[in-house]
Order: sequence, then C-alpha cells, then structure tokens
Amino acid sequence: MANAIIPADTNGIRDRAAIVGIGETEFSWDSGRSELQLASEAIKAACDDAGIAPQDIDGLIRYDMESNHETLLTQSLGIRNLRHWESVSYGGGAGNAVVGHAAAAIAAGYANYVVCFRAANLRSGIRLGRARGPERIAGGADSFAVPWGNMAPAHRFGMFVRRYMHRYGATSRHFGWVAVTLREHASRNPRALRREPITIDDHQNSRMVVDPLHVLDFCQENDGAAAIVVTTAERARELRHSGTPTLIEAAAQGSGPRNDGIIYRPDLAVAESEHTARDLWARARLSAADMDAMMFYDHFTPFCLINLETYGFVPPGEAKDFVEGGDNIRFDGALPVNTHGGNHSEAYIHGLTHVQEAVRLIRGTSTAQPPHKTINRVLSCSSVAQLSGAVIIRRG
Amino acid sequence: MTQPSQQTVKSPPMTAPLEGVPLPDLERVPDYEQGFWEGTRQGELRIQRCTDCGLFRHLPTPMCPECSSLACEWARVSGRGFVYSYVIVRHPVHPAIREKEQTPYNICVIELAEQEGLRICSNVLHVAPEDITIDMPVQVAFIATVDEPDITLPVFLPVSGS
Repeated sequence: MANAIIPADTNGIRDRAAIVGIGETEFSWDSGRSELQLASEAIKAACDDAGIAPQDIDGLIRYDMESNHETLLTQSLGIRNLRHWESVSYGGGAGNAVVGHAAAAIAAGYANYVVCFRAANLRSGIRLGRARGPERIAGGADSFAVPWGNMAPAHRFGMFVRRYMHRYGATSRHFGWVAVTLREHASRNPRALRREPITIDDHQNSRMVVDPLHVLDFCQENDGAAAIVVTTAERARELRHSGTPTLIEAAAQGSGPRNDGIIYRPDLAVAESEHTARDLWARARLSAADMDAMMFYDHFTPFCLINLETYGFVPPGEAKDFVEGGDNIRFDGALPVNTHGGNHSEAYIHGLTHVQEAVRLIRGTSTAQPPHKTINRVLSCSSVAQLSGAVIIRRG
Repeated sequence: MTQPSQQTVKSPPMTAPLEGVPLPDLERVPDYEQGFWEGTRQGELRIQRCTDCGLFRHLPTPMCPECSSLACEWARVSGRGFVYSYVIVRHPVHPAIREKEQTPYNICVIELAEQEGLRICSNVLHVAPEDITIDMPVQVAFIATVDEPDITLPVFLPVSGS
C-alpha cells in the first residue's frame, strides 16, 4: 500500500516563536510608488510596532511571487547580515505558510528576528485576474486549460465551487451572506478599501462574472504591503507588546494529490485543506472547538464555507446553514470570521493581513473586536483548492 | 441541483472553440505531452496510460502516479463522458475574447468514461449555457483551431437520449 499517508503529529515549533510586530502601508488601487518602497514602509511599520530597528532583522521570508528579493531588502533596510531567507511558493498558497516557516526558522535558531512580508502593486501593476497575452504556451497545465478559455483563477475555482454546490446544495445566497458580513466588518475598519455596507440583494443583483460567482464573491485587486515580525518567545517578553504576547502554537501546509490545474483533484468538491487541517490539529492537539475566531483566505466567498468544513468547525455540508443570515460569522457571533473584512473588503495582500488581524484580536485592538468573549486562540487558514497553509496564533 | 435556470431568454450556445486565445507551442511542449496533440490532429482522443498497471492519467506526466512506472503509451479512448463541473464565463479577461465578443462561453470539466476521476478541460458546443448540467452525457468531437493549423482541439457535444 504505497499511498498511506504517514501521520505528521510532531510539533517542533510549539510556542517557541511569537509575533511581536505587525505593520502595513495604506491600501489603494494605485499606490503611486514602487514595490520596494511599499515593502520598506510596511516592514518599518512592523518593526516600529515591535519596538525593534529594521537593522535588527536577520531573517526574511517572502512569497515567491514577490518582486522584492532579499538583496534589495538587505540593502534598503540596512540589514547588517541576513542569516536566513526563504521564499514560499505561490501567492495565496503561501498565505499563513510564511508564518509557519518563520516559526520554524526561529525554533531552529537560524535567526533572531524574522520578517514575513508581501508587497505588491496588484492593481496598478500586473493583475492576477487578467489573462496573459497572445503568446503560445510551452506545455503544462495551462496548455490543457487556456485553449478552452480556462485562464483565470475564477475559472478554476468556479469549477470547484460548482461541484461543491452540486454536492451540498449550497447556493449563491449562502455566499452572499459571507460577502455581506465581510463588508460589515470592513465598514468598521478605516484601513479597508471597500467600506460601503451591502445587502444580500446587492450581492444577488451584482454582475455575474463567472457563473456561479458574482462580482461580490471576488476578492479585490489592490496595491499595498503588509509585514509581521517574528522572534523567540523569550525575546518577545522584552519587547513592546510583552503585555499581550501572541505565540505561534502550530502550523501546517498541505497539497493533497493531483492538484496541478485544480480540476483534476480526486474529489473536486472537497478541498485539499482536509490534509492541512488533519496535520494542524494533530500537531496542536487541538480542534476547531478550541478556536475563538477564524481568519480564512477569502479569494472567493464560497471558501468561507469550505474552510468551516475542512477545518472542522461544522460537519461537511453544514456550513451553508451556519453562514445563513451572517449572524454566526459576524464579529459578535458564535465564530467571528475575518473581522478585518478580509481580502474581500479590506485588502488583498495574499493572506498576510489575516495573520495580522489574528494578532489584533488577541491584543484586543481589532476594529471589529468581539464584545462578548476574550480571544485567546485564532485559526488563520486557507483552502485554495490546490495548496493551503494554516497557523494557530494564541495568547501567550 | 443548481439548475434549472429561471431565465426565459437563453444565451447563445458556443458553436466553435474560442479564437485568439493562447495555444500550445508544439516546438516547446515537453515530450511526455506530445501524444495528446498528435492524437487530436488525427481525430482521436488519446490519453496517457501506464503500460505496467494500466492506469490512465491526465495531466500527462513522465511517471505513473500509482505504480511509479516510467513506461506509458498513448491510448485512444472512446471520447464518451459526462460534465463533471462547469462555469459560464460572462466577463472577458483576455483581449481576444473581449474584442471578438466571445462571451458568454462555457468551460467544462469532462469526466471520461474509461476511468473514475479521469478528467479533461474542454467546451461543450451547441448547448445554451443555461442548459448545461452536471452529469450531462457528452461525446468528443475535434475542431482545428483557426489560429494555428497544427493544433486541433477536442470539444464535446451533448449526447441525446441517453
């Protein structure tokens, strides 16, 4: 039996690393400046929040879509000596994973202050939602997709979503409740790009872009940067936010099989994050019931339902009932979800803002801070239907 | 479950593959993918199959994901299958689709009859977008692209009465 999955339940990072600083630029549709400028500003802001100098940084973890490579940042930030650097594959696929990698680097002693960052002009520069030009394709998954018009993320994810709807009876209205709730959260958040509240009818009447996805199911494309500073739990006690330490309790990534091109996965209605979730909970020795809030990677609203199910907050097929009306996932509900407004309404920085919001919730500084409970543990997770990452942030 | 549509006016069906979209460059397509395009040029849907364990696989790869054999062949399949999932694209993201006003169009995942989970991406022609359904039975057809004479695309047609 070659295909049995060997359990991964060893948690070598448990509580060894802490997030001590978060920072970002303003979010916009046209930043008017370079991506290096954005990265430098966000990292400086995160260092200020931590109470360290950019020159103290000795580890960098970027997304591999990032244009700001290590030499550029070492130069720009005045880093004395970069001891550790990594790039984590893809954009959304690296969401949360960068933080898990940072915790591993800290636990291994590879660096003292590791910064995870993402800086991009994703609106005024190259837009991910636009298809490439007329050039011919040199093989691979694209050559078996693009000739039939399958050329944008919404096309691939839409086929996943259609299959999910077919399996569980979820409808566009359920996705609409996610959109309405995320926008309500963003309406309280001055950083957010889209703050005008919407109704379920606004969602249902919004333009159909890739049926079954309305335009109000999509995340934004925008410019901006975000950064977080990770260090050892011991050093965190000496820094600015020592009163509300935020520890990285566990992390996981997962791909599942046959994920190239997305549509060939064994059961397209079940996300690859079932693998990520299994490992995360085994390593943490926790379950969804232990989480006080969920930050999920909302490239498209249906993935709220999918994360709720694969990470075990509700049984498969029941997320549609859980999100109905929005009450359960609102900041004052049973499971606060994306209290910053998410990729959908705050800004799309490839998921790093979700980890920042987890930190704010534990510090008690979210603009949609749950009034009814203390937030001690937050799951920041993704379910990209191809590759996913997840991290548990807890109060130290 | 997601159908039927309430719309009274249906969108026009696709009658041909999209024009002006990027196509494979056979000069650069890797060796382990060439058999697919050789097949379509000859009007056959050929899928890579492991000659040791018999497993079909798509996307093409150098190695069998089940038994790790490096031996494979391009096996002609029946071209019968069903719509496993689909989207209707109403907003163009490529200049050629915008300029030639080729929306709406459908993208379908077709599961082939030969093996559970064996799927390819395609378009279903001559069916209004509103009438496409999951599990709809389809049969392959072949159309040479207008843009590149060396590329023939497999597309699918509905099978009536089944």
